[in-house]
Order: sequence, then C-alpha cells, then structure tokens
Amino acid sequence: MKQIQMTQNPSFSLISTNKIIQMNNVWTSYDSKNFALEEINLSIDRGTNYAIVGQSGSGKSTLLKLMNGMMIPSSGTIKIDYVTPNMDNKKFKKMMHTIGYIPQSLGLVKNITVLENIMIGALPRLNKIQSMFKQFPENEIKEAKRIISLVGLTGKEERKAYMLSGGEKRRVAIARALMQKPTILLADEIVSELDHVTAREIMNLIAEAQKRMNLTAIMVHHDMQLALEYANRVAVIKEGHKILEIGVEGDTIVDFQTGDMNTDEIMEMYDDDSKK
Amino acid sequence: MTPKNNIVIGIIVALVVVASYNVDANPIEFAEGLPNLAIVLEEMLLVEPKYIPTALWAMFETIQMAFIGTVVGTAIALPLSMLAARNLNSKYVYAPVRALLAAIRTFPSILWAILFVIMVGLGTFAGVLAIVMYTVGFVAKLQYESIEAIDSDPMDAVSSIGVSKWQLIRYVVIPESASHLLSQILYMFDYNVRQTSILGLVGAGGIGFYIINYIKFFEYGKAAVFMLVVLVTVLFIDWVSVKIRDKYIIKSQHGMEVTAK
Repeated sequence: MKQIQMTQNPSFSLISTNKIIQMNNVWTSYDSKNFALEEINLSIDRGTNYAIVGQSGSGKSTLLKLMNGMMIPSSGTIKIDYVTPNMDNKKFKKMMHTIGYIPQSLGLVKNITVLENIMIGALPRLNKIQSMFKQFPENEIKEAKRIISLVGLTGKEERKAYMLSGGEKRRVAIARALMQKPTILLADEIVSELDHVTAREIMNLIAEAQKRMNLTAIMVHHDMQLALEYANRVAVIKEGHKILEIGVEGDTIVDFQTGDMNTDEIMEMYDDDSKK
Repeated sequence: MTPKNNIVIGIIVALVVVASYNVDANPIEFAEGLPNLAIVLEEMLLVEPKYIPTALWAMFETIQMAFIGTVVGTAIALPLSMLAARNLNSKYVYAPVRALLAAIRTFPSILWAILFVIMVGLGTFAGVLAIVMYTVGFVAKLQYESIEAIDSDPMDAVSSIGVSKWQLIRYVVIPESASHLLSQILYMFDYNVRQTSILGLVGAGGIGFYIINYIKFFEYGKAAVFMLVVLVTVLFIDWVSVKIRDKYIIKSQHGMEVTAK
C-alpha cells in the first residue's frame, strides 16, 4: 500500500466554476420518517473521475439515482449541467440520453444479443422504423463496432447476453453507456463482485474511456483502495451523511471537507473498508 | 392437528353435506346408476372401425379450428396485454383493459360458441370465433402477468436512457417475456384442441358434433370411435408440446438462472 500523506486544505474545493453536478443541502427519504441521505452538498467538476465510497445501506446508490432523475430529493436542490433532474422536465429528458447509468445489477436484457444490448444506448438517436425493425443505420453500427472493440468484445456481438461471464456482462453494460455518447457516466458498484484482476481490467477500461471521451465518471464503490487508485476525488458516505471528501493528487490525499475531520479518522475508515 | 383445524374441517364437511342436499347430489343414486355405465361401456366396446376415416377427418378439422383460434387469439391478446400491464401504463389505461379481459374470460368457450352460432349461424366458423375470444381472454391475462413479472432492473436501466415507451417494449418487454409466451401458446393450443372437441355440442363444428349426435341416438359404438380419436390426439399433442417445451423453454429458463447470479 502506498504511504499516504494527509493535508488539510478546505479552500481548495470552490475554485473551478465548471461544475457539472451541484447538490445543495439535499435530503431524501423513502418514507416520511427515515432519511436515506441528509444534508448532502456536492459539486463535481466536468471531466472528473469521481468516486463515492461507503458501506451497504449508507445511501451511496441513492445518491447516483438522484443524479439521473430516477429519484427526486425531499428537499434541497440538484443541478446537472445547470438543469434540475426530473423525468417530467423536458430539458432533462433530453439530457438523459447522454447520461450513462449502470446499476449494480447492470440491467442488461438477457434474451437479446450483445449488439442489440449495446444499440439500446443509441435508441434516442434512431427513428421509429429503425428502432422497431432493428434496422440500425450504418454509422451507428460502425460506432457500435468501435465501442465493442474498445471494450474487448469483438466476435461476441451475436451472443445472447445471458451466455456471458460476469466480466463480459460488465463490458456490455459499459459499451451500452458509451454508445449513448455520454457526458456523464454513473456506475453503481459494478466491480465489487468481480475478482481482483477482472475488477482492475474493468476499471482501466472506464478510466481509458473517461479520458478519451472527456466524460465525467461517477462511480460508487465499496472498496476504498480501488476508489483512491482510480478517482481524482472521493466522497465518503456514512449513514446518509457525506462525512468526508478527499482529493487524490499523486501520493497525496487532500481533505476538502471544511468540517473538523482529522487524519486518523480517514485512515480508520480506509482500513475498515479495505479489510472487507 | 389443532382444535382450530378440526373446526375448519368440520365446517367444510358440513357445507359439502348441505350443498349436496340443496343440489340433489345423492351418492346412493350414483351407486344405483353404476350398472347403466356398464351397459354404455359394453356398447362402446362395439367399436365400428369403418368410421375411423370420418373421425380422423373431423379431428383434423377440429385441430385446424383450434390452430386458427390460437394464432388469431394470441395476435389480438398481445397488444391488449401490453395495455393491461401495470408497469407500462397508467391506471386509466390498464384498469378498463383489465375489466374488458375479465369480462371476456367470464364466459366459457361453449357460451361464446352459442353466441356466435346465433350471430354467424351453425358451423365451424362460429367455433373458431369462440376459440378466438377464449384465447384472447386467457393469453392476455397470462401475458400481462408475465410482463409485470419482468425483472425491473433492465426496465429501469433502459428507461433511464430516456427511450420511448415503444422502444422499451421492443427492446426489453418483448424479449424478456417471450420465453413465457411460447409456453403459454403451447398450453393454449393444447387446451383449445380439447375445447374445440366439445364445441360441436352447440353446433359450432368440429368432432364434438359427431359425438353428440351419435350419443343422442344411443349409438355408443360409433361415438366411441370419435372419442378414442380425441383421446389419442390430445395425448399426442401433449407429448409434442412437452418436447417443444424441453427443447426451447427449459434452455432459456436455464439461461435466466445463470444470469440471476
């Protein structure tokens, strides 16, 4: 493990104005009494590789669902590229076309082929006839082939999704999201069930796509080590609160939280999670 | 066995006795009637093989009726099932469609046959229409139930891209519920062959027309030929559908299990 040096630097967080995601005092609840998230303030720069880390039930998946409009906060404001995420909001509905979302279960359609699953990402760009009869235009097929080779699935285009291995399924889900020509990629613990080697292959794939397409990747993790390895910034969620936001610059971890978190607590959290 | 269970069983037995009294269901009469069955069976054993070609032809007609009814009924049922699924529509759409389907299912196919005989006259066409109605009611119900049982994860993931409802149906709903559909169609065809065999009773064509007529004229030996053909055909169709099911459906179910992990 790398030796990590901690520095407190609260003033660092509000420098850039190019915020793709902004959350202000966001609270959410599944019922009227229990809050899944409390007092969340987040702002994410365009083009960042962002990670959200926390244990099961901490509210990290809920945080992702707020970002693609699948959930609405009970109070507080959220802006995605200066638009409020809400399925009824026409402007946001158009934006959803370019927000890739990979749930923990991946959400692949099992009984259709790899190519068709990936083409789902292009559906908003197709007309009725093309999508009903699966008459995909040449340029989209070309784009799909390019992405298929990028994620390493060449030769498996015609396989049914249920026939694939766990790693391959993740590649399909990533390809589907990339096919959306996304500006934001949201991924919910998609590598936590994989073995060490495969998990890193998948993470490298996303990191490469993120750099190449200049997208903002927001990934939820269970494993702090993995998050620190790949992300520029890591938010730690515990019992619905954002307790920590750290930035990773080379071997240095910078604490962005203005609160009175101390280095020992961060390390403690880090150790807790990496043991699992 | 708890005292509570004993009371429940006691009540059920008492209800059966009371209801039997009300409907004149008398076991003694059943015992007394057994010798009559022997007479019928004896006469049935006088099978008249020269009627076999007629019986086979009538059975073929019956199967064709069931086939048309199943195919057309399913074709009508599918769009209706999409409208009746709660996870695809608002209450204002699915509630009336469900009510309509429930109303269709209320009548057994033989009642539909009577209605269509009045409408289009005696003959096989009335029978086909009856089978269509019955199939619409049932396949639509089975199908909207399997649509509602689709895994919500792909539905959510694909909806979050902001695709249209038609695209969602085409790329998620149809593929994910199709494996159930094949098994439902097979079941329905199997069932429709049996149903069509009795529609002749009300003049709606098919092999049942012969059976009821021979029975009416106490020609049990001739009726037996036709009943035997029905029996063999139904067993054969059952066997074929088990084979098809094993080949196509078990495989895809297995695939689902693998992906569930």
